Amino acid sequence: MSRTRTPTDDLALVELLRAGDETAFMMLIDELGPAMHRVARMFVSSDAVADEVVQEAWLGVLRGLDGFEGRSSLRTWIFRILVNTAKTRGKRESRSVPFAALMGDDLDEPSFDPARFFPSGEGAGSWSTLPFDWRGMPEERAEATETLHVVAGAIAMLPPMQAEVIRLRDVLGWSSEEVRNVLDISETNQRVLLHRARAKVRRALEEHFRIESEGTS
Amino acid sequence: MSVEASLTCREVVELLSDYLDGELPEPERVRVEEHLAGCDGCTMVLDELRETIRLTGMLTVEHVSETQRTTLLEAFRGWTSGA
Repeated sequence: MSRTRTPTDDLALVELLRAGDETAFMMLIDELGPAMHRVARMFVSSDAVADEVVQEAWLGVLRGLDGFEGRSSLRTWIFRILVNTAKTRGKRESRSVPFAALMGDDLDEPSFDPARFFPSGEGAGSWSTLPFDWRGMPEERAEATETLHVVAGAIAMLPPMQAEVIRLRDVLGWSSEEVRNVLDISETNQRVLLHRARAKVRRALEEHFRIESEGTS
Repeated sequence: MSVEASLTCREVVELLSDYLDGELPEPERVRVEEHLAGCDGCTMVLDELRETIRLTGMLTVEHVSETQRTTLLEAFRGWTSGA
């Protein structure tokens, strides 16, 4: 997990970069590279173009280093440059990605199947069919490679923004404030996207453990 | 002052992610906790969401390709040498 750097850490890191410190630069590349590629890929047509966008963005970062004053975090600042570069490139490719396609068109819908709750009557809105209870799983089963494949698979199926929010928040451990700055989304959107993403991953795990337990019982 | 109707399960499950992140405003947090205290189904979903987050945190972080690393390092060297 990458920890959040303090503004002082950021400024010290920028100093190292200005001094040409290759280790510092590579550390930053390794930390931010994969997320930068994925975010760039949202706006352009292929992985190859996304790689080019990431390179172009890094050049922009280096050229702009002298102007970095630490008013935002370094990674927020880098992602601003990246997102602008990616959007410009996407426009040049005449590729306009509908906002709904990035965010997912299901944001206004409940994240739990309405069929699981009583629709009307006295108990309206309470559980009619409880989800499969997969708590109390022995650790080695819960943390099996297969389980983690289910998690990764469920994330890969999410609309790009939902996938990126859960990766940044729950895989990399970034704060909600940073995630919304980096992805240029509102606080509400960040929360909605994260909740939907987690609910879908939970659902995938439920299915996985349910089927597994049917096979063994 | 419980003038407001208590939350239903369908409503509570939509708030659990924010609840876990400590991002619910105080009155809502209290209402969710009151509900959870008497609801096994929602408590189960809460536990499972917490476990989902923990398992997601175990995913390995992706790496930058060697080609990309080399290209970027060259760009950095070019920049430091004032090219």
